[in-house]
Amino acid sequence: MLRLGVDVGRTNTDAALLDDRATGATSVLGVAKVRTTPDVSSGMVQAIAMLAADIRRAGDHVRTVMLGTTHFSEALQRANHLTPTAAIRFGPPSTGSLPPFVDWPQALLRALGGRGYLCPGGHEFNGRTIARLDPGRLREVITRVVSDGAEAIAVSAVFSPIDPEFELRAAEVVHERFPDVPVTLSHEVGRCGLLGRENAAILNAALRNYADEVVTDLQRRLRAAGLRAPVYLSQNDGTLMDIDYARRYPVATMGTGAANAMRGAAFLTGLSSCAVIDVGGASTSVGLLDAGYPSEAPHDVTVAGVRTNFRMPNVLSVGVGGASATGVRGSEALAQLAKRCADAVERVRSGSDALPVVAVGGAGHLVPDTLPGVPMVIRPQHSTAANAIGAAVAQVGGEVDRLVSLETGGRSRTLADAHQEAIDRAVAAGARPSSVSVVATDEVPMTYQPGDATRVRVKAVGELSLRDRDG
Amino acid sequence: MVEPLLRIGRSEVTPIAAGAAFLGSGGGGDVSLGEQLLRRTIGDGAIEVVPASALSPSDLVIHAGVAGSPYVMEECPPHGDHLGDAVQAVADRLGAKAAAVGIVEIGGLNALMPLVAAATLGLPVVDGDLMGRAFPRLDQTSLAVAGRSIEPMAMVGSSGETVLFTNCTNSQVGQLLWANTQALGGAAAVALYPTSAAVLSHEGIPGSLSMSHFLGTELVVADGLRSPRELAERIGADIQFEGRVDEIRPRAREVPGTLTIEDHHTGQVARVDFMDEYLSVALDGQPTAAAPDILAAMDVLSLRPVGTERLRRGQLLAMFRLPAVYAWPSQATGLVGPAGFGLGALFDD
Repeated sequence: MLRLGVDVGRTNTDAALLDDRATGATSVLGVAKVRTTPDVSSGMVQAIAMLAADIRRAGDHVRTVMLGTTHFSEALQRANHLTPTAAIRFGPPSTGSLPPFVDWPQALLRALGGRGYLCPGGHEFNGRTIARLDPGRLREVITRVVSDGAEAIAVSAVFSPIDPEFELRAAEVVHERFPDVPVTLSHEVGRCGLLGRENAAILNAALRNYADEVVTDLQRRLRAAGLRAPVYLSQNDGTLMDIDYARRYPVATMGTGAANAMRGAAFLTGLSSCAVIDVGGASTSVGLLDAGYPSEAPHDVTVAGVRTNFRMPNVLSVGVGGASATGVRGSEALAQLAKRCADAVERVRSGSDALPVVAVGGAGHLVPDTLPGVPMVIRPQHSTAANAIGAAVAQVGGEVDRLVSLETGGRSRTLADAHQEAIDRAVAAGARPSSVSVVATDEVPMTYQPGDATRVRVKAVGELSLRDRDG
Repeated sequence: MVEPLLRIGRSEVTPIAAGAAFLGSGGGGDVSLGEQLLRRTIGDGAIEVVPASALSPSDLVIHAGVAGSPYVMEECPPHGDHLGDAVQAVADRLGAKAAAVGIVEIGGLNALMPLVAAATLGLPVVDGDLMGRAFPRLDQTSLAVAGRSIEPMAMVGSSGETVLFTNCTNSQVGQLLWANTQALGGAAAVALYPTSAAVLSHEGIPGSLSMSHFLGTELVVADGLRSPRELAERIGADIQFEGRVDEIRPRAREVPGTLTIEDHHTGQVARVDFMDEYLSVALDGQPTAAAPDILAAMDVLSLRPVGTERLRRGQLLAMFRLPAVYAWPSQATGLVGPAGFGLGALFDD
């Protein structure tokens, strides 16, 4: 079966065609690279078109298309294609100490309007309501939000991951009275931590209309190019989501480039643990692969200058890339790149000096063959398309992240339930049931709290269930 | 080596927060909440920083901070007014005016929340603290070791509900604190350890804010690709071990959790005991470092501290140890050393 992966970078867009029946570099039937276009989609389609001959030669149909896109991260970086968005927050008045949109960059504030509305409500940690929902007041607030100019709404509430009641009720009222206004509920896009979760919801709501346009357009263009296969988009942890899911949750596509490049490096080298240096046109990233997946950053990562609590790969960024290494100051830039790579690798090696180092990316050849302490930098075949290859071999995931009390039900029962739920979610997202396994389990007791309150996180991944389609 | 900090304006906030995260020794809560709140409260103004010895001996210093679960605070951020109200409640009880705000715990969120209180009240803050790092209990302080009382103490909840404790022993305060924090939703602003500047200048730990600012400045600069060893040298820390996290056994109530890492240079097996914070390090079974020293587990790629709640298998960490700046009297080791956390047996001399 043929899989088609596409990944968009700042400078170039790559595509790769893989044959499912082989593994590693031998499964790669063709790669293509084009300059990334301002509208992003054209470049993706051009790169795919360049593989048409390889597809014909393979004598088989493309069964799935996986796209790692930057449409939405670019929209945030440039503050364009965004919808004026209001934030409604349910909580006690004291949360006004850090109101919605606090510390947001100016350009995004201007594009969104930056209006926040605090309403009494939300829950306490034990599930008690802070203030009762007032339906009349809720309708008034929503009417005002829209008359103030909002065309999209993000709703968050204190402790909504424990009880989303306020968010759900607000969504109902908006749908009833303003059915054309997209709503994002924080508990659907973010995790524990009000501001990070609220920010994720605001970013998502602001992207909803654009996401609809982009997805519709991509689907049309892919069909026009003769591709009838189901289409998936890469998420920030390197797993996939159905393209229609991306209409509602475009914010899940942030930061996919780093993850895809690392997964591609893993696939091409067969290494499940390594450091990956990805050199693109504009910048270089150094990340760590552990057990086949990018290591997660142990701190919160900002997206377009906004604090979020997305799970993002742990990546060190260096602002030197292939494009800098040409021209008059080229040799200086080259030397700087080599030095920054050496510094980054030295950091990594302080944690593990036996860790192999893999160079990928369009300008991966600029990484020196040896680095201090690294006798051989690995350059796999097709490394220039590692990101598109990583997108093509991505898996489908399901995750559970919740607070439980280990007292009720006991530890092993609770963990078993969480494992099963993560597996079920992976299957619901499109994974072949027999291929799903739990890849990570964390049990973190809550600090400075008496009792057994524990945060349990379980991640399950599996292979995409490839459905045969006509065409 | 450490320049005394004289004032805190917007540009000092990030380094102080970064230093507080390091001094948190794996605990103290995520400082970013405090950082954002402080920056917003300071605005274009500044907080004056003074050593306790520079105040008049009879000046009243009231300590402030937050108690309870950082997780709850991340959902329901505290308000500067509540921190100010807590300080005022203690001052009112004493029939006196606070001349300055003090820091109880220089590690984590509690390094920043008293600064929010000071900015809200327009008062200076004392350059010092009572713990030297993060500790879980209110009686693990230099003042408690010297026999001083925590009360009168005030707690203010997220809707302004105020509770005042008076006439109780430090141990009773501890129990009342837990019970009331739960009743107030899991977190509260607190004001406690009202002290004269004279007592504080003898029994407090001096220079903590300046130290936090200094550490944080070095940490922020480390983003420019300094290696862990270089960073350690610059801040006067030693690296206990470097390696990949092999196993994490989570804490179970009062039984500490354990982290196991194989040092890839030496092959030694490192074991770290932790509860809310990192408490001790042993290499191949031999204890090499313990509280009250500062123990910061640094992610090698980002050179940022990893809290106990962010540990994961497979992470590459370098454990930094900074010797405790304060010379705790020998009778304090049962309180702030491993024995204070139930780890005594391993560390008996």
